[in-house]
Amino acid sequence: MSKTSSVKKLKKQENLVGYLFASPWLLGLIVLGLFPILLSFYFSFTNYNMISAPTFVGFENYRILLTNDNLFWKSMYNTVYHVVIAVPLGIFVGISLALLLNNKIRGISVYRTMFYLPNVVSIVAMTLLWMWLFQPNFGLINQLLKPLYNLFHMEPIGWYLDQNLSKLTLILMGLWTAGGSMVIYLAQMQDIPTTLYESAEIDGAGWWQKTFHITLPLMTPSIFFNFIMGLIGSFQVFTIAYIMTNGGPSRSTYYYAYYLFDKMMIDKAMGMASAMAWILLVIVLVVTILALRLNKYVFYLGEEA
Amino acid sequence: MKKILLSMLLVLAAFSAFGCEAKTETEAITIDFWHMSPVGSESYAATKAIINSFNDSQDRYFIKGTGFSFWDYWDKIAVAISSRTAPDIGLSTIDDVVTRAEAGVLYNITDLIAADPGSIDLGELYQSQLDFATYDGDLYALPFTATCRVLYYNLDMFETVGLTEDDVPHTWSELYTVAKQLDVVNDQGEIQQLGFDPTYGNATYHGWLWEAGLDFFDEDLNPTLNTQEYVDILNWIIDFNGEYSRSQLTAFGDANTMLGINPFAGERVAMMVETDGLYQTIKNSGADFNYGVTYIPIPDDNGIRVNWGSGFSIEMYDNGKGEDDQKQGAWEFYKYLMSYDVQMELSTANGWIMAHKGAMQTVSVGDPILTRLIEEVQYARDKVYVPYAPSWHGNDWQPYYNNALTGEMTAAEALAAARENYLQKKANWEATHQG
Repeated sequence: MSKTSSVKKLKKQENLVGYLFASPWLLGLIVLGLFPILLSFYFSFTNYNMISAPTFVGFENYRILLTNDNLFWKSMYNTVYHVVIAVPLGIFVGISLALLLNNKIRGISVYRTMFYLPNVVSIVAMTLLWMWLFQPNFGLINQLLKPLYNLFHMEPIGWYLDQNLSKLTLILMGLWTAGGSMVIYLAQMQDIPTTLYESAEIDGAGWWQKTFHITLPLMTPSIFFNFIMGLIGSFQVFTIAYIMTNGGPSRSTYYYAYYLFDKMMIDKAMGMASAMAWILLVIVLVVTILALRLNKYVFYLGEEA
Repeated sequence: MKKILLSMLLVLAAFSAFGCEAKTETEAITIDFWHMSPVGSESYAATKAIINSFNDSQDRYFIKGTGFSFWDYWDKIAVAISSRTAPDIGLSTIDDVVTRAEAGVLYNITDLIAADPGSIDLGELYQSQLDFATYDGDLYALPFTATCRVLYYNLDMFETVGLTEDDVPHTWSELYTVAKQLDVVNDQGEIQQLGFDPTYGNATYHGWLWEAGLDFFDEDLNPTLNTQEYVDILNWIIDFNGEYSRSQLTAFGDANTMLGINPFAGERVAMMVETDGLYQTIKNSGADFNYGVTYIPIPDDNGIRVNWGSGFSIEMYDNGKGEDDQKQGAWEFYKYLMSYDVQMELSTANGWIMAHKGAMQTVSVGDPILTRLIEEVQYARDKVYVPYAPSWHGNDWQPYYNNALTGEMTAAEALAAARENYLQKKANWEATHQG
């Protein structure tokens, strides 16, 4: 009996020491994470202009956003458009780059570094650079395409200044950083046992068969990871539009996170902005849960079939 | 050993106790002052000199100046006010003083002036600016700087087509006639020089409306924009350079703005509506062309001489902590900042138009451009603060304006859509602000 109680005491002490060691992180989580999250949940039910005290308005913010706010739906459409195109395209380009750079040629590490480099460039600098490149009137891209325009008697493409192309332009620009996901794909590719390829080669498999029947299936864990992270990140797209297009032209790049930011900083409607944040959280949560169901198609190496 | 240690501790404790006492007696009360002249900015030296001069003039208060860039300042001050950690004194925008006064975060300046007669001569300040700083009959801020918008014209360009200063336009029809003489287009149809464009620089749709006696909102802050006059003025803007495509005009404008060059300062546009700040930019760039400024041309019939002008307010923040010493110290520095000498010094050093009329008159002696700019300040009018659409002229209007300019919408469609948007925002604002 006394032995049991002393074990219990020791366990308690051990737990206490554990909590003590974890306390800086716990404190950070509660003060910097949990508290603002809970506070924003409360604010979402209030009218709060960030100067006067918040006043409770019940579900009014949610009602307005969902039923009487054209910009809410416009920004939602823009964001979904971005997610639907940018995420698969990003995965496709990332995998393509990884396949391209998974070769044993001279100076391959230099090429890999070059493709990864855009990821260490500040997003502001990157956006400004692409603004110059895509500038319809004197940007480098249109200058290079000039012979084509002349050949087909076309008007130069308006890129980010054309409301029908602005979202696609930003997506294209975002592909410049596909090197980030490429590194993950590359790492997983190099983890694939060479014996599998050797057996396939003995069976007469070519590059195509090896890629589609060995490489890609065994890369599904990293594809899945990048897919989930891409989904979450794309729903929060903001910076490129903020710097490059100001949400325009004609609100065509006015994304959800941008509208949320404006609700807070321009309209001084912190309550409404908080409600938007919680709606976004629910959307991202639901989409992620649905996406997680794809896990059954992911093949983890070493796992029994 | 123990005794030695104990006596050493005692001596140390005694020193610290005396040290604390001595420090409390002599330490000045620190007053926080937030401004927009951070280290490295052109106006830093003058602001710092003024703060130092105040600190040297007395030893009861110590002004601790903190400068943020113009772009960072607004987020910082908004967060500081909402968290009740605002500085004792700070700059802000004058058009929305009322919102802060209403929230109880500003000290009542009328009370402070009443308790300190002769401290500030309100007669030296523009009434239009004071009106914006008034809430419930009392002042809660004072104007610190003033701005205005004028028409800049390039006399060298005028001369090349045989025009003189007498030909400077004052009405919309004169503006059109003169502008067309100043356009230069090459053989490929590319604009080389533009006479004028009513969308360039700081020309705004609401500015043109004001000149015609119209506005975006009525007295009850209901959106207007629903009569033919609004459509006509928007069409006047769209058609002004109708012989060029919008992409030609945008290309010409972008070539300047992307390089950070003001089209007028870069001698690519002959006439442009700009703020008083352009005068300083031209001076700083060392440009040597001849130019002048005048009031923005007005409609031929019943036009009103008016321009969009604003300015920074200077405010004393009440963080609800009952800090009387801080308040008194802040007030002393406040008076100092609003004094004739300091206002003159800031204007001379930075080229700003300050709110103090007398100081500005002195500064402008012998400077014809500055004299004209100051003259226009009296015709300046600030945009009304609309609580349900604080950025009614910017975020809320620009997409519709751009649609009208690019032809995506007709003027009437753009105005109707903008009005619809304001009405929706108003309804939503009212739904969350009942009672």
